Amino acid sequence: MLQFLVDTVLRASDLALIALGLSMLYGLVKFPNVAHVQYAMFGAYVTYALQSSGFPLVGALLAGSVAAGLLTLGLQVLVFQRLLRGGPAIAMIGSLAVAMLVIAIMQGLAGSFPRMFNLPRVEPLVIGGARIAWTQLYLMGTTIVLLALFMLVLFHTRLGRAMRALSSNPMLANASGLNAERITYCVSFASGAIAGLGGSMLALSTGAHINLGNDLLLPVFAAAILGGLGNPIGAVFGALLIALTETAVTNLNFGPLLGRELAFMPVGYISAGSFLILLLALLFKPYGLFDRDVRRV
Amino acid sequence: MRSSRVPGFRRARIAAAASLLTLAGTAAWAQDSVNIGAVLSLTGANATVGEDVRRGIMLGVEHVNAKGGVLGKKFNIIIEDSGGNPTTALNAARKLATVDKVPVVMGEYSSGITLPMAQYLVKEGVTHLNIASSSTKIRQLGATSFSLVGLENFGNQFSAKDTWDLGYRKVAMIAPNNAYGQGVLEGYKAEFEKLGGKVVTEVLYTAGQSTYRRELQQMSRSNPDAYVYTAYGQESAVINREAEELGLRKTPWYAILMSMSLSDTPPAIANGQIGMELGSVQGAAGKAYADAFKAKYTEGFKTSYTGYGYDGVLLTAAAIEKAKATTPAAIQAALKEIGATGFPGVTGTIRFDQDRQRVDPPYDKLKFEGGKLAPR
Amino acid sequence: MSAVFDFAVSTVTIAGIYALMALGLNLQAGYAGLLNFGHIAFAGLGAYAAGIGFGLGWAPLPSLALGVGLAMLLGAFMAGLGRKLASDYWGIATLAIAEILRTIATNEGWLTGGANGISAIPALFDGLPRPWNAVAFLALVLGVLAAAAWLCARLGNGRFGRALRLMREEPQLATCLGYNLRTLKTRAIMASAAVTALGGFLYAHYMSFAGPEYMLASETFLLWTMVMIGGLGNTLGVLVGVVTVQAAHVLVPFAKDWIGFGSDVAGALRLGLIGAILLACLLWRSEGLVPEKLRKIP
Repeated sequence: MLQFLVDTVLRASDLALIALGLSMLYGLVKFPNVAHVQYAMFGAYVTYALQSSGFPLVGALLAGSVAAGLLTLGLQVLVFQRLLRGGPAIAMIGSLAVAMLVIAIMQGLAGSFPRMFNLPRVEPLVIGGARIAWTQLYLMGTTIVLLALFMLVLFHTRLGRAMRALSSNPMLANASGLNAERITYCVSFASGAIAGLGGSMLALSTGAHINLGNDLLLPVFAAAILGGLGNPIGAVFGALLIALTETAVTNLNFGPLLGRELAFMPVGYISAGSFLILLLALLFKPYGLFDRDVRRV
Repeated sequence: MRSSRVPGFRRARIAAAASLLTLAGTAAWAQDSVNIGAVLSLTGANATVGEDVRRGIMLGVEHVNAKGGVLGKKFNIIIEDSGGNPTTALNAARKLATVDKVPVVMGEYSSGITLPMAQYLVKEGVTHLNIASSSTKIRQLGATSFSLVGLENFGNQFSAKDTWDLGYRKVAMIAPNNAYGQGVLEGYKAEFEKLGGKVVTEVLYTAGQSTYRRELQQMSRSNPDAYVYTAYGQESAVINREAEELGLRKTPWYAILMSMSLSDTPPAIANGQIGMELGSVQGAAGKAYADAFKAKYTEGFKTSYTGYGYDGVLLTAAAIEKAKATTPAAIQAALKEIGATGFPGVTGTIRFDQDRQRVDPPYDKLKFEGGKLAPR
Repeated sequence: MSAVFDFAVSTVTIAGIYALMALGLNLQAGYAGLLNFGHIAFAGLGAYAAGIGFGLGWAPLPSLALGVGLAMLLGAFMAGLGRKLASDYWGIATLAIAEILRTIATNEGWLTGGANGISAIPALFDGLPRPWNAVAFLALVLGVLAAAAWLCARLGNGRFGRALRLMREEPQLATCLGYNLRTLKTRAIMASAAVTALGGFLYAHYMSFAGPEYMLASETFLLWTMVMIGGLGNTLGVLVGVVTVQAAHVLVPFAKDWIGFGSDVAGALRLGLIGAILLACLLWRSEGLVPEKLRKIP
């Protein structure tokens, strides 16, 4: 039972940071940025590059997230601001092009072969019957701390209020003197940095590889949409829900139903499971599970 | 319709002209050497194996040219990347067959890629040399396909007997979800159950996932005596590490095709595993090859497939010399003759049966300790 | 020179098949402004229908009918989803549907051959001697493409196309004028699905193989690139886009042989070139290289 919970939280923390960044930025720019998961991949590679040339791990992680944040900011200023003038559809297709470019550049520079981090081997932690590796524990811990910090900023600082105002009613926010551009830049950087951190920490377990972003695309979007695009805290809950479903589906023993001792859902269908959840969410609650506004759909 | 089509066609013509010029240049240059082709996984999940085999092949070409080439001309190989997927491999094979017009194509690595690619080559009448895939479906490819590698029926028999002899009676299996993995799962299960054992869980994993915890946990629920697995380098690194993290390594782990399964796993994690492998280098010729490889590339080969690539090159050169021609049909006839009597390769004596498949392929029992693979 | 001929035939055949699929996308995206990111699923259904039909011993035409029928059903389903969803959400939903289909194709070995796919699908003109079989197939592809292009251009300039464009630009006005937006969208998507499934069917016969890689999301993105580069909303533009992208794809391996860089760089270059061209088009010529000519009322 404990292992079940641990696995759920682990999978959720793989997704949560990146989904949070995506949702947060969507609230301001109002288009789904398909390239967002590639920022995570970029951050992972930067962290790998630094760590393998001798930087301490924590420093490399920080540098990786800053690099990803800068990349996001740069792309927002140079590319997406212009594309948005053509509407969210053009911006979404543009984000597709940007994603291709980021992958191409990383493949050209780093090769298609995954880069495993050279970490000292430590025995996993055993709590009750459950086993967790230390890197995963750090990922979970970092996610929780960042989430708490984020909620603090969002609800108890002026910047957070400004973000929320801008996200819910841009024209009114502009009229009341908030500098929409500056806030968007701040949020771009932050969302990119968080995605970069999420990607780097994920890469500690799986290695930095060019498909890191693509493999996360649909689960992250599912989590963000479930929580409601623009609702970053919701995105984290979306991630938890997706992780819960995935873990439950593969751990449930359907054997007794089928008259066999052991029978499980083939793991290949896990991803189909999260996409199915996404579809159901889009059909019945397209603005997210936590949508309280009355809206004509 | 109106002729407002002109701009579009002009662009198309420029593109076509550019490609034609490039092709003409390439075709002219290639005339004064004897060319063969190879399709390898130079990018993708199996890039380690692909690169390793490429090195073996290049060493073979070098050795052939050092002895004077083939039919008095320079021996040359054109290597294309399969990208790790069948479509790219098919396009590569098409280029080799129609543009470069090579009489022989070696490759690929994964059975799921070798099968469609070889079917195309057989249709075109081009000779195909299988140097790494082991699916039993390769036997039915057709009259121009030859296999230097032992097919799975031999491998599975060997693994089943080995694991039975080691005392395991209940095993859990995991293999990739493709032609190769499915073949190993079914074949091993049939052989193991013939001996009286039982495969309690079978998992086919999908490539490219960032975690395989779910699969591993499903397997562990059945409490096997041992885990029998086979996996491609990148994924097996994740599987092995997570198996360790989940505490599953207290039970023995047996790897089928060990060098492939451990090619990207850190030695600290791989220590303690046992397994089987395609016989990589045999006898004095094999040792000489291993030394030459190390001398040229400063590190030894990482997988056991390089010897088959090397043998493929030398065998082809010998067949061309024997046939005194470079047409596919002549080469195929020469290969059959050589295969009937036996060709001394670095992977042992190469003989073909009437379906042009390798007879008595060698296998090794290995273990991983002290940071590398060693015989058991 | 016959090497060049063979290669040219094969390149143009593949370009023709992609052009068919891109024309299908243009019906949805160009005329109707529908952001379908799961478009390749239609082609995948056509390809697998070819394989499954062959496995059941059917002749090509019934398999084609199966593929087109399934694709149109899927299109109707996607259109139904679009009732409640804004366009970018709908795009993600279609992406999810395509991925679910691909997962099923990868896992259900009994139906689709699993990860190995279905191989040894006969090329349609195998009876003819070389090189006439390839030429005949090319002629078939080009003939189908010409028919489809003519049909799309006719549709585009006719009532249906005008209605779609109106729906795209001024949906409320269209509703006022009495157009049923849902029916329009459904018909556009179903027509698009049929054309694309035909393309997928031909591709499976050409490669003699149908596998789950055909339905990767990257294939949809490739088609989007072709349509965007050439210009959304007109048939000629789509053809220009296909030629441009196909040229980039084909020239990179030759550049690799000439200049001599590694395979990783070649793969990266292909992807990067296409991404760069798409981005450049979006930034500087968002109507595409061949902009849509909207009729001006004199």
